[in-house]
Amino acid sequence: MILFLQNIVRFILLILIQVFVLNNIRFLGFINPYIYILFIFMLPVKFPRWLSLILAFVMGIIIDAFSNTYGIHAFSAVLIAYLRNPVINIFTSIEEGANPVPSFYTFGVAAFIKYIVTLVIIHHTTFFFLEIFGFENIGQTLLKIILNAFVTIVIILGIHSFKKK
Amino acid sequence: MRKLFAFLFKYSVAILFLILEVISFGLIVKNNGYQQSVFFSSSNTVLASLYTVSSSFVEFFYLRTANEGLAEENVELKNQLVTLQNQLSSYLSHPSDFQRTFIAPEKEISFIQAKVINNSTNRTLNYITLNKGFRDSIKVDMGVINEDGVVGIVSNVSEKFSVVIPILNPKINIDSKFKKNNYSGPVHWEGFDYRYANLKDIARHVEFSLGDSVITSGFTDSFPEGILVGTVDDFKIRESDAYYHIKVKLAVNFRTLTHVKVIKYKNYEEQKNLENIAKE
Repeated sequence: MILFLQNIVRFILLILIQVFVLNNIRFLGFINPYIYILFIFMLPVKFPRWLSLILAFVMGIIIDAFSNTYGIHAFSAVLIAYLRNPVINIFTSIEEGANPVPSFYTFGVAAFIKYIVTLVIIHHTTFFFLEIFGFENIGQTLLKIILNAFVTIVIILGIHSFKKK
Repeated sequence: MRKLFAFLFKYSVAILFLILEVISFGLIVKNNGYQQSVFFSSSNTVLASLYTVSSSFVEFFYLRTANEGLAEENVELKNQLVTLQNQLSSYLSHPSDFQRTFIAPEKEISFIQAKVINNSTNRTLNYITLNKGFRDSIKVDMGVINEDGVVGIVSNVSEKFSVVIPILNPKINIDSKFKKNNYSGPVHWEGFDYRYANLKDIARHVEFSLGDSVITSGFTDSFPEGILVGTVDDFKIRESDAYYHIKVKLAVNFRTLTHVKVIKYKNYEEQKNLENIAKE
């Protein structure tokens, strides 16, 4: 029950922070970290996959509506919600019957960093290529992906390192 | 049949995944053009109201710059008023001349004042939301300017709000020309720095120099001729190129944008109708 409420609060809070704070960061003119995906990262490992897909879609659509990106966030968010379980299986070995919430403590530092980095890069790559919708100026797009992914990863890991066990 | 259900059940997650991705992709492709649906955009009333609240906080920080700009514009307008009054009085002393003067039809415009309630400069596809909609007689395709120069073109209108595609969005080109020699080309933004855009299609033989003004050409219905777009900041041309690469410093500072004017062109319908008849 607590977990349920926690996730609802997190869902709303992350959307508000993303839309009203982070989308207004104008550092260097093109840094815009997308940390709303933290919601998807922090769903429990055995959370029903169909539900996580639908939640990711709803969250993406809401962010899209606020930033006039029409489905781009929805697409990238659903993609990482789907790839989350395979990625977890690659980097960690969860015991039978356990259902941990991903964090430094449950996954171990190295595995957790790998988990976050992989999914953030997948999300940002999809997002920025769909935004430009083509392969012109590819160097510029790649630079955007790398810098934005770096900032997003630092923020997400930062939030986690303040969390207690 | 049972096998079919078993199959569907086994792959239900993958199927749901595909369905959601197809829906998202459909939205992206359908709205990748210039006209977009109002529902999923920030001209949606609920979202726009939220933005109105948040912008009332942010606006406070930009009041000072906005005031300075308005004061400057005020002085300029006063000066123009004096000149016009003088011209008018000279015409009035020769009534026969006065009757023969018409206003050029392409210059019959008026302005609608609007406030920016949401604005981005840091993405590839930037948009601006304004607090005026079709009840204030704003329509799609109208040009938007502020006291410094061209801002963008209206793309979506709801009852109380409208969304503008600014120059800072690769989806639009602003038809522009050099003020001094009338050579024209589109101004296009590449998606990186909110201060600079590129002027294209200027051939090798055209003469111009750094600091030259680039103004709107007046060939589109959105802008009358002569509104400042920016100034030439840098240019280069390689041996093999037919056209210059011209970097234009935009006149408008998009980061401090608070108040804008939407251009209402009175003869829009008449001109459009005539052009459509000619095309048929």
